[in-house]
Parts: sequence; C-alpha cells; structure tokens
Amino acid sequence: MRVLIVEDEVKMAALLRRGLVEEGHLAEVTGDGESAVAMARASAYDAIVLDVMLPRLDGFTACRQMREAGVWTGVLMLTARDSVHDRVAGLDCGADDYLAKPFSFNELLARLRALARRGESPRPTQLTVGDLRLDPASRRVWRGESEIRLSTKEFTLLETLMRRPGVVFDRATLLEYAWDYGYENRSNVVDVYIRYLREKVDRPFGCATIETVRGAGYRLNVPPQ
Amino acid sequence: MSRLAIRTRLTLAFTSAVAVVFLLAGTFLYVRLEHSLDASIDASLQAQAGQVAALIRQADSGLRQGGNTAARSDSFAQVLTAGGRVYDASPQLGSGSLLSAAQLHDAFQHPLKIDRSVLVRGEPEPVRLLATPVSAQGQTLMVVVSASLADRDQALNTLRYELLLGGPAALLVVALSGYLLARAALRPVEALRRETERFSGTDLSQRVTLPQADDEIQRLGATLNGLLSRLERSMSHERQFVADASHELRTPLALLRTELELALRRPRSNDELRTALRSAAAESERMAQLADDLLVLARSDEVELAVARSQTPVADVLGAVVRRFQGGAADAGRRIVIDDRFPGAANLDATRIEQALANLVENALRHGGGTITISATPVSHGLGLSVEDEGDGFDPDFLPRAFERFSQADRARTGRGAGLGLAIVDAIVTAHDGTVTAANRHPHGGRVQITIPNESFRHA
Repeated sequence: MRVLIVEDEVKMAALLRRGLVEEGHLAEVTGDGESAVAMARASAYDAIVLDVMLPRLDGFTACRQMREAGVWTGVLMLTARDSVHDRVAGLDCGADDYLAKPFSFNELLARLRALARRGESPRPTQLTVGDLRLDPASRRVWRGESEIRLSTKEFTLLETLMRRPGVVFDRATLLEYAWDYGYENRSNVVDVYIRYLREKVDRPFGCATIETVRGAGYRLNVPPQ
Repeated sequence: MSRLAIRTRLTLAFTSAVAVVFLLAGTFLYVRLEHSLDASIDASLQAQAGQVAALIRQADSGLRQGGNTAARSDSFAQVLTAGGRVYDASPQLGSGSLLSAAQLHDAFQHPLKIDRSVLVRGEPEPVRLLATPVSAQGQTLMVVVSASLADRDQALNTLRYELLLGGPAALLVVALSGYLLARAALRPVEALRRETERFSGTDLSQRVTLPQADDEIQRLGATLNGLLSRLERSMSHERQFVADASHELRTPLALLRTELELALRRPRSNDELRTALRSAAAESERMAQLADDLLVLARSDEVELAVARSQTPVADVLGAVVRRFQGGAADAGRRIVIDDRFPGAANLDATRIEQALANLVENALRHGGGTITISATPVSHGLGLSVEDEGDGFDPDFLPRAFERFSQADRARTGRGAGLGLAIVDAIVTAHDGTVTAANRHPHGGRVQITIPNESFRHA
C-alpha cells in the first residue's frame, strides 16, 4: 500500500509513517492541506490519512478539493475532533472513513486496507446527470443553477433514478426503492409520482430526461457528452 | 396554610376579611337599632310618666276609668303609695304591685327603669317600666308607667334573623367569586408554568412566550427568559471548554498510545525501546501539565480561583521565576533580567503570581526572542508587573483573543502549548482583582503588563 499521511503534528506524522513502513507499506508525509491536495493530484496513492486541523487548508476543504479534482483515493479522516457534527461533516465532504484520536494502530491499518480494496471508483457526494444535480446530504436538487423543490417521495424516486442513470427501472423495483413493502395502494402510485417529477424536473426546463420505456418502466436519460 | 394553593389561600384570606367586616357591620347595625328603639321607648315613658304625675297633682289620676289619656291600649300605669299599696292602676293590670319592695325602695332614691314580663289581661307581655316618685296630694307617690317591648323585640329579632341568614349566604357568594377571581388572575402563571415544564433539560434555546401587556406576568416571563439566556451562554461556554479540553487531551493521548503500541508490535532493541519510552514520558508529562492547567481554569470558572494572599517580598517572587528558567534560557542563548523598582512587599499569592510570571516567561522563551525583562514597578494603589522580550511580538490578529482559552497565535502547532498559558495568567490576575494586558513594543518585541491592587477590593 502506498499511503499519503497528512498530519501537522510532527511527532504523530513520524509515528504513523514508521508504523506503516514497518508493516511493509510506503508512506509519504505532508504537514499542510494545500500540499496534500497537490500531492494527491500528482501521484497515485492507495489511501490517504487526513487530519482536520491543518495549516493553510483544513482537512474537510482539502478532501472536497481532492474530490473536485477527480481524486477518488480512499480518504480516512484521522482527528481529535470526534463530535457527531465533525464526523458528519467529514463524511459528507467526501471522506470514506472517520477515525478519532486516540486510535488503535491495528484498527487504522485494517481501515486503510479496506479503503485500498474499494479502489478508485468515483464516489461523488453529489449525484450529477447532465445538468441535473442532487445532494443527498442536504436533500437538495438543482437543474443547472436553479433549485428544484421536491417532496420526500419525489426526492427518493429521483435519487433512485439518478444513482443508475440510463438504467430502466420497472414499476415494482421503483416501488421497492421508494416505498416500503407495506404500501397498500400499488396500482399507479409510481406513474403518478413520475408525472409529478416530470412536472418539476423536466417540463419547466423544456426537456424530457425521464423517459417511459413501453412495457418496461422508466429510465433517466444520460445526455450525450 | 402555606401548603394550600395560592388561589385557595387568597380565597380564604379574602373571605375571612369580608366575614370580619360583615360581623362588625351587622353588630353595629343591630346595636344602633336597639339603641334608637330604646331611646324612643324611653322618651315615650318619660312623657307618659309626666302626664300621669300631672294628673295626680291635680286630683285623682283617674287611671281606673277607661279612656284616660294616659291609659292607651298598649300601655298602662300604676300609682303606688310609699308603703307599696296600689293607689291607682290601669284596668288591664291585676291588683298586685308592679314593683317589689326593694325596687320600690330603690325607686324612691332615683327613677328606676326595669325590663320585665307582666301579666296583662292574663297574658304575659314584655314591658319596660319607669318608676318615678311624685309629690302630690300631701304625700309622696310612686308613678309606674309602662311601654310594651313586643314591637322592639320583634324588630330586633327580625334584624338578627336576617343578619344571621343573609350574612353567611353573602359570604358564600364572596368566597366563590373570590376563588374564581384568584383562579382567573393566576391562569397566566399556570400557563407560564406549563410552558416552562415542557422545556427539556438539554435544550436551553427555548424561551417562554411573553404576553403583550406590560404586567407582572410579562416581567416574570422576561426574567425567566433572561435566566435561560444566561444559562444557555454559560452552558455553551462550558461545552466549548470541555470540547476544547478533550481535543487537547486527545493529541498527547493518541501519541502515547501509538508510541507504545508500535513499540510492542515487534521485538525491539533496547535503544528503540528507550526512545519510545522517553517519547511516551514526554507525552504523559504534557498531559499532566495540561490536566493541571485545566484544573486551574475549571476552578476559576466555578467560584473563583482560591488565592491565599500574604505580604510577600516582590524580589523573592521575581527571583524564583528567573531561577526556574535561567538554565533553559542560557542553553538557548537568551538572557532573563530583573528590573525591580518595587520597594518591599506586596499583598499577593506568591505561588499563583509566580505561576503567572512563569507562563509569561515560558511564552517569551518559546515564541519571542532576545533578552527577557521581568519588571516590578509601583503603580497607584498597587503593584505593576511586566514581562517583555525583544522578539517579533504578538500577531496583531492574535492580540484581541490572546487571553481566551485554547487560542494560539500559530495554528501550525509548532509549539507544544494548548493555548492555555495566557488564559491561566488572566485567571490568576483576575482572582487578585487585577488586570492584565498584552501589547507590542516599539520597535519590536512583546509585552504583557499585570496590575495588582494592593488590597483585594472584593473582600475589603
């Protein structure tokens, strides 16, 4: 494993590096957020250990900038800040894991291995299909720059479609994703909500991204690049 | 009494007060009526006695003959001789004397008034008698006239009856309306109580809704909200402190744990183990220091930092601080000098002030540069202490929050402090009722100035 350690406490950084190297890994160390982003963009790592309180650029921002730059290396936030608020902020800015100091070195190694296994598939915090954008954390949706207000069900339905753009969902599958099993009125509720969605997501913008596939179901079309 | 609800207490008090007023008013009314009835009866008796006396002086009183002016149907008269014999009497009376021998004797001394029951035509009747001696026809006679008390007694009885019946009934109405009034007046209080009851213990951001009117309830609500605001502020202050403290404690703890864990992962040489232990010892030292600092600050939060002030030679305090740091300063090629212009002793807690000065000197050694000067000067009513250096001074952005807890000039954490040193200085100086300020010197260097009043004003 090749690991980037971003930690401004010199002693901690040295300890982490020594521990990783002794386990047979490669480790590079940097002490500030800006150079961390630059290093992550410049070369490939299997995992990044990121502190939050960093000079110049804090860990949350650094993580967001890495993701924006298309760096999908697994990021583990390692910080003394362990409030729920901090954990949520860390994970929502694109980090894959969160570990609070003090930590067990074995656990850190195991988590880094798990991150490396996941590989570098893009895991954006916001879903984007064409100019349609959805943020699951803040539960907001935009078409281009204009925000669209959706009800809870409409949002869940759109999120389902946007997680697999171009894939056809039949009504039963959509029911399972967006409604629970106990839902009684199964007759045409999906069709009704698809119509609501089109009214809000497509019609006002003069497009037709939610397509009816005759005999099969619905699909969110990916615009040609 | 104090166990009862306010509305019950109010009703009881109000009703008791009204009952007393009713009782007094009723008694007054009754006595007045009795007095005025008696007065009119007495007046009529006097007149009657006068008439009978006049008749006797002229001749026979003629009481026995009907139609006599003095013998009205509801009254009668009797004339007795000094011996007690009935000289003359109204026909309705029996033959017996109206007065006993003793009463007759008394009546000759002065006019006598007697309330008694008399048989009139065989029927007992309550009457008032007036016995007046009259000199007529060569002898002293006793004229006894009477007036019926039946009307008077009936009027008084009726009044008493009405008072005894109407009073309690009126009291009942008073009590009921008093209770309703008290309940209505206290309803906003109850509403306020219910609203406050719904507040949770953890969320202090809630506030009670204030009524529009500028009344007692509105003031109570405003006071309550003010209290909540203060609580919320101190709670959030406390939470911030705990969060910061735990954050600061985690760093050395994480280092300690990782260091030891790594050392134990595989067989190590003696040198490696010694290095690891030395590092672990340094971290535990850092944690101990941090724990001490946090304790001082937590205590200063609670009530106030306990200071044991005594007359202490200022030179001793300065000397102790310098001795503590001289070695380290010399190693770093720095100098610490004393500029003591304070004569004699000052009233202070030597240990605490030494700690404050030590924190300042330590800061100057770590972040400043050049020679460090500790000076003591007399100021009006007190002692001025200052620590200066010749380094780069304070970051202007840092100065406004220099004495805040966990505030550090450089976020890069090159130093090992937690940002508590100046906060502790502030706590110690505040406990001495003094003031502390930080400033930059010209052309370069930083300076922290402490002023300690000679007497503690708080306990003066």
